[in-house]
Amino acid sequence: MPPTDRKEPGRKWAIFLAILVHLIFVAVLVFGVSWQTREAGPVMAELWSSLPAPAQKVVPKPEPAPEPRPEPKPEPKPEPKPEPKPEPKIEQPKPSKVDIELKAKEKEKKLKEEQKKLEEQKKAETEKRKQAELKHQEKEKQKQERLVQEQQRESMRQQQEATNALARQQASAQARMEGDYKGRIRDKIKRYIIVPPDVPGNPQAEFEVTLMPSGEVLNAKLTRSSGNPAYDNAVERAIYKAQPLPLPPDASLFGRFRELQLKFRLNE
Amino acid sequence: MNVTHDLSFLSLITNASVLVQLVLLVLLLASGLSWYFIFGKLFAIRAAISEADKFEDEFWSGADLNNLYQRVSSGRTQVVGMEKIFEAGFREFLKLKRQGRMDIAVIMEGTRRAMRAACQRELDALEQHLAFLASVGSVSPYIGLFGTVWGIMNAFRSLANVVQATLAHVAPGIAEALIATAMGLFAAIPAVLAYNHFSHDVDRLATRFDSFMEEFSNILQRQANT
Repeated sequence: MPPTDRKEPGRKWAIFLAILVHLIFVAVLVFGVSWQTREAGPVMAELWSSLPAPAQKVVPKPEPAPEPRPEPKPEPKPEPKPEPKPEPKIEQPKPSKVDIELKAKEKEKKLKEEQKKLEEQKKAETEKRKQAELKHQEKEKQKQERLVQEQQRESMRQQQEATNALARQQASAQARMEGDYKGRIRDKIKRYIIVPPDVPGNPQAEFEVTLMPSGEVLNAKLTRSSGNPAYDNAVERAIYKAQPLPLPPDASLFGRFRELQLKFRLNE
Repeated sequence: MNVTHDLSFLSLITNASVLVQLVLLVLLLASGLSWYFIFGKLFAIRAAISEADKFEDEFWSGADLNNLYQRVSSGRTQVVGMEKIFEAGFREFLKLKRQGRMDIAVIMEGTRRAMRAACQRELDALEQHLAFLASVGSVSPYIGLFGTVWGIMNAFRSLANVVQATLAHVAPGIAEALIATAMGLFAAIPAVLAYNHFSHDVDRLATRFDSFMEEFSNILQRQANT
């Protein structure tokens, strides 16, 4: 009996399942494993030479902590001076009357003197105390003043910083505008340059252009020739033809445009 | 060497050297074929086992052998497995018996030979692609390893031109090389498992066929004597 060509059961199913298994395998490889070690993409960052003013205002400057005020030193109290003791009377053998009188007088004198002394002392003490108090007050005052001054200085500094930042910003804006307008001027002039035929190489001519506030050209002076007079002439003609040159609307900026150094390269 | 950090799977493969790509292609083909055979064998062997079960049930239910033979040999259904053995044996038996004046031993010998031939054919059909599975299982890891070694060689060779060698210079090359090994293992592991499983199944079927043949010869011998 010849071996009949037998039909495999479920042949299509086998093919289908085999493909399915491989698709699952590939899917696991592609999605299951994180093959990614991609570095973070480039990040654009603007660099500011100074923070914009409002932002700075928001940030509260840490106030300088009030210095622990040194306790006013207790003034050394003037020690109470020992009261002059009344001198013990020395019983003397009674002398003569005159003597007694004399002695009495002397005594009186002494007493008076002592009283005077005492008063003077008292006065001096009060004076001293007053002076000390005054000194103390003055010190206090000075300290407060110093504090106030410091605060003022701080605030002034902040203000100044803010104004500085503002000024810097303005300056940068101005510089930007200046560059912008210079570029515009150059562009406008370049549009008018009619390049003479057969100019060899890539010549560069430098001109000093004097402008009027209206944008008219007062004078155009060749400061560095390109070495090719035809090109120099063409540029000069273009400078005059390009009048009026564009100037920034802000008239205060004109000072920077009064005299311009412009370079014209043939192929830029 | 252009060091790319984008290790997406596809770019790894497309950036690999030609030989590694070739290895991957071979392995993919081997894997695809082996999976196809795995599923094909799975269905075939399962069908053979269930068919053998069914036929044994029918055979031992005490049905008349002539009726059974009529039904099997009518050609309406494809005859496979145990039915085929039965059909071949019974046909040979009937032919020899019809010739008459023959020794019983000779008749039984012829019948047995016919059954053995049918059994061999059946087993051969069942085992048809198992050898392929075996070779994929044993060889594809080596093929993958070859691709990996080649890829790593390239990766290190390109490192020679670099003054400051970092891991980033070698990593993509090694990664792409290791894909070859992964592919080889992916092809090999199921193939080996399937080969072992199927050869075991086929062995069991062979012993079942053998025992059926012995029992059937006994029955025929008894019938021939009567």
